[in-house]
Amino acid sequence: MPKIIIDGREIECRAGIPVLQAALEAGLAVPHYCYHPGLSIVASCRLCLMEMKLPHPQTRELVWAPKLFPSCQTPVQDGMEVRFDSAAVRDNQKHVMEYYLLNHPLDCPVCDKAGECYLQDYTEAHGPGSSRMVEDKQKNPKKDIGPHTLLYQDRCVLCSRCVRFCDEIAGTGELAVVNRGSRGEIDVFPGRPLDNPLQGNVVDLCPVGALLDKDFLFKQRVWLLRSTKSVSPADSGGQTIWIDSNEQGIHRIRPRYNERVNEWWISDEARFGWKYVHRPDRLNRPQVREAGTMRPARWEELPTLLRSRFAEMTPGASLAEGALGPSPDTALKGRGIAAVLSPMMSCEEAWLLARFVRDVAPQATLVLGHVPVVGEDQTFPKGFTIKAEKCPNRRGVETILRHLGGHTADFRTFLGQAVERRFDAAYIVGGYPDVWVTPDVADALAKVEFLVVHDLFPSRLNERAAVQIPGATWAEREGTFMNCDGLLQPFERAIVPPEGVKSDGQFVYELAGRSGLFHARKVRDEMAAEMPQFAEVFVPRELPKHAH
Amino acid sequence: MPFERVLMKHVGVPNSTSLAVYQADGGYTGAARALRMKPDELVELVKQANLRGRGGAGFPAGLKWSFLPKDRKITYLCVNADESEPPTFCNRVLIDHDPHMLLEGILIAGYATRTTVAYIYLRGEFMEQFHVLQRALDEAYAAGYFGRNILGSGYDLECYIHRGAGAYICGEETGLIESLEGKRGWPRIKPPFPAVEGLFRQPTVVNNVETLACLPHLLTRGLEWWLGLGTANSKGPKMYCISGPVNRPGCYEAPLGITCRELIYGDDFGGGMRGGKKVKAVFPGGLSMGVLRGDLFPRAPAGTIDPRQDYDELDCVLDFDDVRKYDLLGLGTAAAVVVPEDADMRDVLVNVARFYALESCGQCTHCREGTTWMYKIAQRMRAGAGRLLDLDLLVEISQNMGMMPGMSICGLPDGAAWPVRTAVQKFRREFERRIAEQEPEAARRWTREVNRAAYELPVLQGRETTYVGGTFYQPP
Ligand SMILES: Cc1cc2nc3c(=O)[nH]c(=O)nc-3n(C[C@H](O)[C@H](O)[C@H](O)COP(=O)(O)O)c2cc1C
Ligand code: SF4
Ligand code: SF4
Ligand code: FES
Repeated sequence: MPKIIIDGREIECRAGIPVLQAALEAGLAVPHYCYHPGLSIVASCRLCLMEMKLPHPQTRELVWAPKLFPSCQTPVQDGMEVRFDSAAVRDNQKHVMEYYLLNHPLDCPVCDKAGECYLQDYTEAHGPGSSRMVEDKQKNPKKDIGPHTLLYQDRCVLCSRCVRFCDEIAGTGELAVVNRGSRGEIDVFPGRPLDNPLQGNVVDLCPVGALLDKDFLFKQRVWLLRSTKSVSPADSGGQTIWIDSNEQGIHRIRPRYNERVNEWWISDEARFGWKYVHRPDRLNRPQVREAGTMRPARWEELPTLLRSRFAEMTPGASLAEGALGPSPDTALKGRGIAAVLSPMMSCEEAWLLARFVRDVAPQATLVLGHVPVVGEDQTFPKGFTIKAEKCPNRRGVETILRHLGGHTADFRTFLGQAVERRFDAAYIVGGYPDVWVTPDVADALAKVEFLVVHDLFPSRLNERAAVQIPGATWAEREGTFMNCDGLLQPFERAIVPPEGVKSDGQFVYELAGRSGLFHARKVRDEMAAEMPQFAEVFVPRELPKHAH
Repeated sequence: MPFERVLMKHVGVPNSTSLAVYQADGGYTGAARALRMKPDELVELVKQANLRGRGGAGFPAGLKWSFLPKDRKITYLCVNADESEPPTFCNRVLIDHDPHMLLEGILIAGYATRTTVAYIYLRGEFMEQFHVLQRALDEAYAAGYFGRNILGSGYDLECYIHRGAGAYICGEETGLIESLEGKRGWPRIKPPFPAVEGLFRQPTVVNNVETLACLPHLLTRGLEWWLGLGTANSKGPKMYCISGPVNRPGCYEAPLGITCRELIYGDDFGGGMRGGKKVKAVFPGGLSMGVLRGDLFPRAPAGTIDPRQDYDELDCVLDFDDVRKYDLLGLGTAAAVVVPEDADMRDVLVNVARFYALESCGQCTHCREGTTWMYKIAQRMRAGAGRLLDLDLLVEISQNMGMMPGMSICGLPDGAAWPVRTAVQKFRREFERRIAEQEPEAARRWTREVNRAAYELPVLQGRETTYVGGTFYQPP
């Protein structure tokens, strides 16, 4: 690993990276706009300039060169010495920050970016504090450039990050710089709006408030938001995200860097696919059918109720026997019972529920629930992939089913068997953002006598369910998802479930006969004792604090 | 022995653009001779001749060619015919009158650099020149000077003409390359230099039209003739342009190293000022190289050159070295534009600043914002609302832009900074006088009209007007 000296401090850094990246990783707050580690280097904003020691033309002795160098364009070399802490560097920063504000409308009070804007931050930290320009400001237009995005051109610093993103990462090239010099503007081509499955990233990329998300526009001041580490349930790739919420409401989702999966980006599906969390028609209380009609139930009565009903349905089984594990004469017991584990569940929830069902009915059939697939995987030029499989944890549930063994089935087979009335009782978990109970699913499940439905929204199963349990969305739960490549990633709870709803993990924890609070971490430790795949979770590297 | 014109020898000859006329006068014999040599011998010859690029930077062509990687498979030659530097028209004269001289030069340079394809990047406005050149190229192809197995040497060279769309920045070599690739003409960051990774990411040579047009003469007349022309470090013939209120504006050929005074007053050149006026200022190398004081100012005591004093600077020798003593950026395109004694330097400043504000490509912050700011200040000064501190501000802005202090990708802002800074510094007395003659309070009133916010903030009151920013880059 090369060692370089920055501001007199020796720093060890990864080979081949730009000095700017090394400085940021070493914790230095070097201002920069155009540099982004995921994009090509253009070195045009000239904010990251540094001084560098070079051999003197005559004496060959290392001396500070009489000019500045862009640190984003200069790769680290063992033994090089650079400095940012110098009058010349600060002087340059001051000039650049003054330039950026020459034509800026200074409308921070009405700007969504305020609070996380690098024009504000850098001006505060490095700018001159007042402008010396007394001429008229150039007034640039605000433009509607696509279905999701607005461009406030007057705030743009022309770093060209958004343009490079569309060219290099999305490969769609909708954005371009038009006009020359200070009349330069970002724009789309006539009739070709910014509309690609990754376009939302340009809003995060924009260091200032020029590109704005219509969805988030004027919704919240960013300093009110709390960010929670999460994993997107939008597809099976396991894109890591930040959930930004305030007062139990989600306001936006942003990418969370992940070197193994989504790097700096997320798909628009992941970004905008959270709206269902706040749908008003969410199920919000447990219900039990009695004499043909549903009655509200208390959460506390459900575990006993379910356990005893399942036990009844298991000929000859008793609670005590179940708890002791299968004995030879239990071999046939409980075959009429099934649990459908949704790929929307976390690994921990799926495991707890599967264990509960097998506990009561050792011969129960475990089913991997409906796996929604839309089209085909979509891969972009630099490798970012949107998966066709629109659920986060198929692989995790499969791993658990494979480990538990015994009778398992896929969803289609299960439905076929249900139509043949093979099941007396079934515990069905849904949790999908979209309608998933198609008429054929509903018809097949109508053949199950005792149907427990654990889901987010009312569905065709309303009339058929014997017990209806309201579920929580991923944002209201914690646990891990295993992505399609077997990467196990934890997500945290961002908001509490709506009133009346218990998070799935807590419920299945109690269902499994445990008391106290559900902790995904503890459950996972138990799982790991049996299944080494769950011993370790992958947590992406945190980006250096001053990078953006 | 009087100097014999070579680059412009066919100017005024009837039908000079035709192959027949060119060949009758020994055309393409230089190329024939070159094709019998080894490419590396040619590079060596050009190195010995110290042929320095005529496009502005004055970089030795032979040295540039020797930077090409040895093991390359493909080489491109880009001929820079984007001639957009303000008062410059040498390349245009050359193409207008003698397109085959350029084509022969391309053939020689192409052979020396083992080029497979040459592209002539022609300035967008050169419509007529395009037809002249295309006709000549067709003729040359038909005569076997381009295409396969040229003159039986086994060397193949294709040549295409590409027309620009009217942007100064596409004359910058990497901007030219980007534009040629069909992209926006945004200069690239260097390294990699074009010699290693240029057009289509292959080794590429970029040379100016005049640089290439020198090659046939170097081959036919020989190294000795060449080295006999010019000054110590600047060899060969050069085309000088002169415009402004002189008696004979135009393009003239001379050995490198005539003085600015000769160019203006020489009978073979500008022929003196119209109406016997005096010269107030002259931009001797295209706008970008900065400005010299004219003979309106007193002569300096013999033997002194001090650009900080108000002396006549017309004795500046127009070669690659002497110009630097007068605080000029370089020789540039050797196209002088003369400002007469009765012109207002504020008008000159507006004109200069406008060009760069309009032509900055807009990538780099200092260049994009700085050039426009300078233009706005110059406009306000001309409107009679200048402030003394504007002069310092202009100097400060200009000293903080450009490649030399490391603040940009390409050399355009150096070229913007030099004329503005030298104009303000060398003519400061005049600017100060004009400001003193303004009606008082003009700057305040003007600001209140156009930028109320700045007026109401305490900017003008002198409290917050300046921060002690200082200036990093002090030109030598
Ligand atoms: C802003 C800018 C504009 C330029 N315009 C031209 C031009 O119009 N024609 C030209 O030959 N060189 C121009 N140059 C110089 C080229 O970058 C390059 O140095 C030259 O083409 C090299 O050729 P030479 O070595 O034969 O001079 C320009 C440079 C800059 C920085
Ligand atoms: S819109 Fe934003 S990202 Fe795009 S160039 Fe302007 S400042 Fe940069
Ligand atoms: S210095 Fe100016 S002209 Fe050159 S690349 Fe930068 S912005 Fe463009
Ligand atoms: S020039 Fe280095 S970050 Fe923009």
